[in-house]
Amino acid sequence: MAAPASAYKDRQFLAVIGDEDSVTGLLLAGIGHVTSPPDSQKNFLVVDNKTDNAAIEEAFNRFTTERKDIGILLINQHIAERIRHRVDTYTAAFPALLEIPSKDHPYDPEKDSVLRRVRRLFGE
Amino acid sequence: MSGAQNREAVFPTRQSLGLMKSKLKGAQTGHDLLKRKSEALTKRFRAPDTVPEITRRIDEAKRKMGRVMQIAAFSLAEVTYAVGGDIGYQVQESAKSARFRVRTKQENVSGVFLPAFESYTTDGNNDFGLTGLGKGGQQVQRCRETYARAVETLVELASLQTAFVILDEVIKVVNRRVNAIEHVIIPRTENTIKYINSELDELDREEFFRLKKVQNKKQRDTAAQDAEMRAKREAAEKADKGESTSDKENASGGGDILGEQEDADVIF
Amino acid sequence: MEGLFFNVNNGYIEGIVRGYRNGLLSGQQYSNLTQCETIDDLKLQLGPAYGDFLASLPPNPSTSTLAEKTTDKLISEFRYVRANAVGSLAKFMDYLTYGYMIDNVALLITGTLHERDTRELLERCHPLGWFETMPVLCVATNIEELYNSVLIETPLAPYFKGSLSHQDLDELNIEIVRNTLYKNYLEDFHNFVNTDSEIAGTPTSEVMTEILEFEADRRAINITLNSFGTELSKADRKKLYPSFGRLYPEGSYMLSRAEDIEGVRIAVEGVNDYKTYFDQAGMGQSSAGAGNMSGGAGGDGKSLEDLFYQKEMEISKSAFTRQFTFAIVYAWVKLREQEIRNITWIAECIAQNQKERIGNYISVF
Repeated sequence: MAAPASAYKDRQFLAVIGDEDSVTGLLLAGIGHVTSPPDSQKNFLVVDNKTDNAAIEEAFNRFTTERKDIGILLINQHIAERIRHRVDTYTAAFPALLEIPSKDHPYDPEKDSVLRRVRRLFGE
Repeated sequence: MSGAQNREAVFPTRQSLGLMKSKLKGAQTGHDLLKRKSEALTKRFRAPDTVPEITRRIDEAKRKMGRVMQIAAFSLAEVTYAVGGDIGYQVQESAKSARFRVRTKQENVSGVFLPAFESYTTDGNNDFGLTGLGKGGQQVQRCRETYARAVETLVELASLQTAFVILDEVIKVVNRRVNAIEHVIIPRTENTIKYINSELDELDREEFFRLKKVQNKKQRDTAAQDAEMRAKREAAEKADKGESTSDKENASGGGDILGEQEDADVIF
Repeated sequence: MEGLFFNVNNGYIEGIVRGYRNGLLSGQQYSNLTQCETIDDLKLQLGPAYGDFLASLPPNPSTSTLAEKTTDKLISEFRYVRANAVGSLAKFMDYLTYGYMIDNVALLITGTLHERDTRELLERCHPLGWFETMPVLCVATNIEELYNSVLIETPLAPYFKGSLSHQDLDELNIEIVRNTLYKNYLEDFHNFVNTDSEIAGTPTSEVMTEILEFEADRRAINITLNSFGTELSKADRKKLYPSFGRLYPEGSYMLSRAEDIEGVRIAVEGVNDYKTYFDQAGMGQSSAGAGNMSGGAGGDGKSLEDLFYQKEMEISKSAFTRQFTFAIVYAWVKLREQEIRNITWIAECIAQNQKERIGNYISVF
């Protein structure tokens, strides 16, 4: 009925798109992974003011659709805001998409696309 | 919704009537089952009291995440203070192999497999063991622990959220099916049955009428034949009395038998 | 006697630096800062001390940009002093920058190892550790090239020579490389202040020896404490200890054999100061975590690293009680660095609403 086992049994990593501090912290927790050479793909992306939205979107696509080994994608809420249209239309169960707060941007439940979905479901 | 359109394209035969009847029965059973399933699943969403259960839990978890992440961010600030510089770049570069990973396991809720994430740490690889060796190492270690705890919370939340997304999807599908059965399949099958019944009735009536006609004609014919025979017989009696009685009897008997057989056949 | 000619070359610098020292935030100012509700308030409070440098900040700046701007002020003042320095003082100040260079070089090595665009790395380098040939480091594409053609041109070359080969750069953890360099640097600096014809025998060498010895001991203790539970072997660890300091040689030897915090405590017992710190930090008896500010729920007690910072500041402060010495430049830089860290800390506490820990800054004036 639900997603077949093959859809997630290989998903063992977390990925993150975030500002430098968030990424640093999460990497310290040990989620960082670089695939073996030659392609050496990282599972994290540091976004600053100079990163353009296309790059964020590309990373988002890479983590959500291309790579099959990512179980959870963490994204800073203020960055999710920049590619909101992509985040809002993302409905797949895998990888799970989590919007997380960052140091300079506290968490705002109103913007979270999943929470909005929850609310909509119950007509709140 | 005219009956002629909203039905299945079947020949109105007794066999297809039988088929349709069993189909209707199947649809009703399926409807009941799915409805019950949908209710069971929705219960996962809503607690006994009318508060939407999973919403509350997600809401709570998200709020908790806000706090946990703040504490974690603060511990990173401590690292910056103790190391006296930015370790971000170095950390990014020395990340090699994930120590903190997740595995997925399944939980069966009314026939739906809900995957849940479970975090585990692989032993042995420690990319940042020496970070802050000169100074600040203790903070770095503590920060790692704080963040590891934060990530665990995130993983929990992710499980909850995935469960929600999948449940949501499944409930939608089930409800769609329930509705489809209720509003499309059942009326359609019923229509078809009605149609077949009416067609069969029609056929019956036609047949009955035809039989009547045939019978009438038969009766007329028989009557005419009888009359003719009688006339003939009378004429023959008049012509030669007692001549070839056996012959006559034979002929009339055969005709009678044939006629009777015909009748019986038609009636059955 | 040494004071007779000091002012001929260095009097102006000393005056300037003493002036800068008076510009450092006082305890009173710090307590004003901790009363701030927002970063904007904080900015306003810092106005008199940092005015021009903070003026260009947008409203409610992030703590990292705040730290950046406050560092800018230190850099510009340092450059001014450096530009006016002559002779031994100039050399002394160059030595001062080598420590930052080591961090920068470590950064660039990491970048080269991972084949990153080294140009973007240059932005991340500490401006004090900037050296002329640094942009050239960008041309190196592999570690061997970096080692053979670029690193040997830097002032850090002697620190590489003899202790690190280019294979080492490739294989060793960058932290070990960094600490090896730092050890060589400290030894060289120590040697310099004690043998340079203009400095040896002056108050400079006296004060600087104290500062550097403390720094060496602090590093040795920290490295030992931080290496527990990592792959760093005792033999390798021993190589990272500077070969001077109050702990050297007996204490260092014992440190190299220490297996837990208790071992470290025994090793430093010979030096009263450090022993006191260990007792104050509550380490040794129990195996409670070391490190400063002991986590979110931590108590009020200061941790070992806090105490070390405190001590460093006190030494720096007392350096100003001496006259005719270059050490005040060193002390001033350290005090300013601590001030920047204090400001960042306070800003961080305000920004993240963690007011209960805001008092963890170190103020000595």
